[in-house]
Amino acid sequence: EEPPGAGAGEDGYDYGKGDFVEHACRYCGIHSPACVARCNVPSCRKWFCNSRGNTSGSHLVNHLVRAKHKEVCLHKDSPLGETILECYNCGCRNVFLLGFISAKAENVVVLLCREPCLNVNALKDMNWDLSQWLPLIDDRCFLSWLVKVPSEQEQLRARQISAQQINKVEELWKTNPDASLEDLEKPGVDDEPQPVVLKYEDAYQYQNVFAPLIKLEADYDKMMKESQSKDSVTVRWDIGLNKKRVAYFVFPKEDNELRLVPGDELRLRYSGGTSHPAWQSVGHVIKLTAQEEVALELRASQGVPVELSHGFSVDFVWKSTSFDRMQGAMKTFAVDETSVSGYIYHHLLGHEVEHQIIRNTLPKRFGAPGLPELNASQVLAVKSVLQKPVSLIQGPPGTGKTVTSAAIVYHMAKQGQGQVLVCAPSNVAVDQLAEKISSTGLKVVRLCAKSREAVSSPVEHLTLHYQVRHLDTSEKSEMHKLQQLKDEQGELSSSDEKKYKALKRATEREILQSADVICCTCVGAGDPRLSNFRFRQVLIDESTQATEPECLIPLVLGVKQVVLVGDHCQLGPVIMCKKAARAGLAQSLFERLVILGVKPFRLQVQYRMHPCLSEFPSNCFYEGTLQNGVTVNERQSTGIDFPWPVPNRPMFFYVQMGVEEISASGTSYLNRTEAANVEKIVTTFLRSGVVPSQIGVITPYEGQRAYIVNYMSRNGSLRQQLYKEIEVASVDSFQGREKDYIILSCVRSNEHQGIGFLNDPRRLNVALTRARYGIVVLGNPKVLSKQPLWNSLLTHYKEHECLVEGPLNNLKQSMVQFQKPKKIYN
Amino acid sequence: DDGIPVGSDEDEGVEVRQKVVQVDPKEQEDFDRELKALLQESLESRKSEVRTRSTLNMKVPMNVLEGSKDQRAGESESGEETMDEEGGNAGGGSKVRVKVLMKKGHKQQTRQMFIPGDCPLVQSTKEQEAAELEE
Ligand SMILES: [Zn+2]
Ligand SMILES: [Zn+2]
Ligand SMILES: [Zn+2]
Repeated sequence: EEPPGAGAGEDGYDYGKGDFVEHACRYCGIHSPACVARCNVPSCRKWFCNSRGNTSGSHLVNHLVRAKHKEVCLHKDSPLGETILECYNCGCRNVFLLGFISAKAENVVVLLCREPCLNVNALKDMNWDLSQWLPLIDDRCFLSWLVKVPSEQEQLRARQISAQQINKVEELWKTNPDASLEDLEKPGVDDEPQPVVLKYEDAYQYQNVFAPLIKLEADYDKMMKESQSKDSVTVRWDIGLNKKRVAYFVFPKEDNELRLVPGDELRLRYSGGTSHPAWQSVGHVIKLTAQEEVALELRASQGVPVELSHGFSVDFVWKSTSFDRMQGAMKTFAVDETSVSGYIYHHLLGHEVEHQIIRNTLPKRFGAPGLPELNASQVLAVKSVLQKPVSLIQGPPGTGKTVTSAAIVYHMAKQGQGQVLVCAPSNVAVDQLAEKISSTGLKVVRLCAKSREAVSSPVEHLTLHYQVRHLDTSEKSEMHKLQQLKDEQGELSSSDEKKYKALKRATEREILQSADVICCTCVGAGDPRLSNFRFRQVLIDESTQATEPECLIPLVLGVKQVVLVGDHCQLGPVIMCKKAARAGLAQSLFERLVILGVKPFRLQVQYRMHPCLSEFPSNCFYEGTLQNGVTVNERQSTGIDFPWPVPNRPMFFYVQMGVEEISASGTSYLNRTEAANVEKIVTTFLRSGVVPSQIGVITPYEGQRAYIVNYMSRNGSLRQQLYKEIEVASVDSFQGREKDYIILSCVRSNEHQGIGFLNDPRRLNVALTRARYGIVVLGNPKVLSKQPLWNSLLTHYKEHECLVEGPLNNLKQSMVQFQKPKKIYN
Repeated sequence: DDGIPVGSDEDEGVEVRQKVVQVDPKEQEDFDRELKALLQESLESRKSEVRTRSTLNMKVPMNVLEGSKDQRAGESESGEETMDEEGGNAGGGSKVRVKVLMKKGHKQQTRQMFIPGDCPLVQSTKEQEAAELEE
């Protein structure tokens, strides 16, 4: 909608503010004008600094020697201004021959060449002191009072280039003068990308590792989404409140991993026939129904073929925005030294940094108005975070991490350090946080992507676009008039549109500036509307579900204090490209910091699960530290008549021996026996008085998910509508959520292939910790017991007499033999 | 903008436990050899050039000589900014203001610059002045 500027990203924003400093040292990136000079050879003209870095000579001297270039020009902001260094007498520009001499009596100095001018006899008779000729280059470095040596801080934050790299890049410049250091390390097309590491020399190395991984993921995403065209789509038409055309159609989700989400862009096409010419329009998904019907708000308002309903095609319009912003953030991180504080810069790169304490007056109480009272571990978390520039908070399932985060943000905002930025990778998490923070009385603005403005949100009143529309002051009346006109007509004249946009932008800015807290997704923090904002304090929730470059986007806006909230024992970010995943893109920043030795602060009291359900996860994933904030009584299913094998223990492992099958798409699995038994369990729950919204069916495989939905609606013995209201989802998509009753279908059941997805302990943790009142696990113990973790889970169920088989109304303890666990990774 | 100064003072206190930079002696040797070769080659090329440059125009112009006796940094009359202090790599100690005589095209001009008090360039003028005083 906004015209993309030259070389700018998708949304017209030039990524990385300090992006291209022309006079940055081509080796290390240092760019203070006093410290750099330009090689004056016409074919070269590159800038270099006067620091030695990791080499014996300064970068400037290194270049001149390696390239055999001999002329230098100073920066215009240097003490001598933009000057080509040359002999005052003969004009010789060879810096290897130049030096200063001074006048005998005065504080006047001049550059003179060693040969021949220094040896001209006539000079000796004048007032110059020739005995003290001071060469420009001394000890492999330029005179430091002519071209300053960068400070130690500056050098530490620069690219740590080695002598070998210098030689290599100089070699490369001989054939390709515009090559960059990155070109040295670019992997070939078929090469495996460089894997991530724990520590990085500098932000350039960081960028060298992550940029290719993000590129791989972006390419994969593009390829996959653009191959998702559907033909013969039937459309039903509607008009939205904003007078825009909305098309409803079914976009069947096959059992691949493509997930359509609100805000996605689709193109609706009609290829033309005898009755109607060809037509197409792009629109945004504003809603997805449980029946997989998509509501698409079209951009075009005129010429829409509303009289037609059949024969449409739908394509996915891939956007590079989020990937562009990640790349931009990495660039900013490297070249702009104001992007993050020095402490955070070195900390994130894994350098050993002297401990720092933030001297803040701590509040008397750590809770916040409008929030529930904090428990002891939550109070400690808030307290420790407020005093540290970098902290990690680990929130196991149900431990109240949103409340804790909200309390932290409340106290940060009260410290008067400016606005606080609050982010999370997912929109759902951002909405939840925004709501909680707003209940403390702070002024919260929820910034949504423009493509999501029509998507309904539980915190509508906090969103920027809502506040812009409802800001009620007289000076805004002109904007409101234009808004009304736009709503009525669908569009404005180009001059009105211009005026409207300017007014809107000013209003947005005003509202954003008056907020205490701004909430958006990590990618949203790269929104151009925030490009002039600086945030010293940033909190990122669900940070273990974001990739590192994603996490970086909110950080490079000037952060000095960062809080990462998450749980590295639950699932990490979803990476579609296997190559990128193998190279380690799926490891979050939080996780890397933990491995580097940063101890996360763990919240320890869980308020979700029946104590019986939290026992295994606590012992297995949290060293037994998880305490129960809910009692058995509070989680008793009173009045629910369900055949739990042990009455006070609402859990069982239901032994299944049916075989797995490969799904129609060939990329996923399903298991018919398990699906049939899932339906029976669901029906039993419903009969016993549980309502559909209390039940969640989860499974690791998309193929099984689709099969269960289908099977229940066709074979369920109760009203079909009841089954339709039951949420059937993948384990991964259920992270962060809960249901009263969870049914987990494991699917995998084979002789030799292993258990795939189920191997990941974090997926098992997520699956086991979604239920509040009760859980039923369906799977094949013979197969699952080969994996050590599943083996201990099965043993746990068996010891509690909850490993059962047989018909639901006559469950018996199973005597199935487990296999010896062995370490298999597949 | 919310008016917060960027990159402010708090940032100064970062202590990074830094690895000691070790220059590979082989690399250094290699570099020194190339540097020496370049120097040598430069000198040779100049020597072989015909020495016809007799028109020496090295007179210090009169206006430069006026009122420029050994002024220390910081006591400048015009109140202009002195060298920034934090650099600390210009030799430390006091700094002396010098005028650098340059040519822009055919015009002479001077630019002001500060050099460390212990720089040999300054030493010579100091000695000279001292000698003059004794006379
Ligand atoms: Zn050059
Ligand atoms: Zn450099
Ligand atoms: Zn000369």
